Amino acid sequence: MGFKNVVVAVDGSEASQEALNCAIELARQSKCALTGLFIIDGGWPDYIGNDWQSSKGARQGFLDYIRKEQEEQADAARKQFEVASAGMATAFSLLSGDPTEELLKIANAASTDIFVISRRVFQVSGRPSLKSLAKTLALKATRPLLLLP
Amino acid sequence: MNEDAGFFRKLPSALPGLALIVLTMVVIRNWIEPWMSTAVVFGMKGWLVKATHLNYILLGIILGMLYRNVIFGGKMPAVLSDGFKLSRLMIKTGIILLGSLYTVNAIVQLGSMAIILIGGFVILTIIMVLWFGTMLGLDRSMIGVMANALSICGVSAAVATSPAVEAKASHVAYAIATILGFGVLTMFISPFIGHALDLTDLQYGAWIGTGILNSGQVLAAALAFNPNIAPGTAASVAEVWNIMRVISIPFAVFAVTVWYWAGKTELGEGGKRKGLGTLLVEKFPVFVLGFLGMVFLTSMGTFGDVGLKGGPAASDTVKMMRLWMTWIFGFGLVGLGGYIDFKELRQAGGAPLKLGLIVGVTKYVLALVVVFLIKDYLVAI
Repeated sequence: MGFKNVVVAVDGSEASQEALNCAIELARQSKCALTGLFIIDGGWPDYIGNDWQSSKGARQGFLDYIRKEQEEQADAARKQFEVASAGMATAFSLLSGDPTEELLKIANAASTDIFVISRRVFQVSGRPSLKSLAKTLALKATRPLLLLP
Repeated sequence: MNEDAGFFRKLPSALPGLALIVLTMVVIRNWIEPWMSTAVVFGMKGWLVKATHLNYILLGIILGMLYRNVIFGGKMPAVLSDGFKLSRLMIKTGIILLGSLYTVNAIVQLGSMAIILIGGFVILTIIMVLWFGTMLGLDRSMIGVMANALSICGVSAAVATSPAVEAKASHVAYAIATILGFGVLTMFISPFIGHALDLTDLQYGAWIGTGILNSGQVLAAALAFNPNIAPGTAASVAEVWNIMRVISIPFAVFAVTVWYWAGKTELGEGGKRKGLGTLLVEKFPVFVLGFLGMVFLTSMGTFGDVGLKGGPAASDTVKMMRLWMTWIFGFGLVGLGGYIDFKELRQAGGAPLKLGLIVGVTKYVLALVVVFLIKDYLVAI
């Protein structure tokens, strides 16, 4: 089966490195484009939503702090992707929003021939519900999906 | 993520969510609650209220949770989201208005008891978390976040502490899930325990004000025990205790930060620690000043008599303000329910959950024991 576009989720972790290696192999075999992506979790304001006792400075200070940490992770993910895929035709997308929703959109997009993802991806930066990210994708993805441990 | 910027400019977008919140509370108070108190179940009139202790507050929270987790499949639709966010502002406004229940003398009397109990429990809980957390082999940042989250007021303290102790997002996320999960449980079981032990409003307010971790849940548990708002009711007592805890946030953040960076100093990084003055400016919850301003206005007689024990009856203005408060809190707590995400709570686990449960249950039970031991020293206002 020849692919035109292999998409892989990366977060700079060891788990995503394994998925990335697998995606690179698939893209090389099919001589096709490789797209890496990272999602900045936009669910934090909602997650701390009932934090009504904090001063505004503490609340916004925390959101800025979390944003900074995630931007650093995005940089690490981009670097991991660029180093591993050097010499290939690639693109890297940095998205923002709810990781589960955004990844599901990618997994269902017509332009995605196969979506490669580790079930442990985004755990380092994520909220507890992201533990079920892989399960949700497995149940709801309509395009081919390759789930790695 | 500057979600608060220009919020009032976005007020029109909050209207659908607000309309749902208001409609929910109107239906609960005008139809559901009266029906529950008159319905005959198991041959007993009002069994639903007597057996479940459900009142408009708990029903509001339950419906809020149902909206998010059942009806809308785990996430508030964008059209309702801004309205539910406004619930924070409603509860803050309600707390400021609660200042009208107290004169300066009453707040000093009640507050001095609260300072002793809260101060003791904050220090004890921090020590317990530092000890247990180290024993469980948790990351130092995680212990710092959990120490303040479990000792002061849950999410607010976790949020205020995390940048100071370099906590990772995942640390904060698991600390919040643990605290909220524990809080939801205590919010629903505390009224049962309170009624079963025949606690007075003062004893119950002091207990939950000390033992429940999250401020919103303290308020909900107090109103679930006694929905009335007047001097000496559970809500009025618990909120004084709660205000004392909230005031201690900058001090506890400072103490935990000192502990955290003391370990880091060996690595030559101690210079990143912030001073107490900076923390007081950055972390002090400004609405507490609004509450104290209200106490001052009440003491000046601005709203007439407040109806303290043994004094003249409350003025019509004060009575009307109390009626508003029941509605404002009702609206705010429907919003609070709408922010309880079962998906997040279900996934909490591991060492943070273990630590949270050990310390949370210990604090909850110990607070009840202490309130029993000092009940003769608790003075009603």
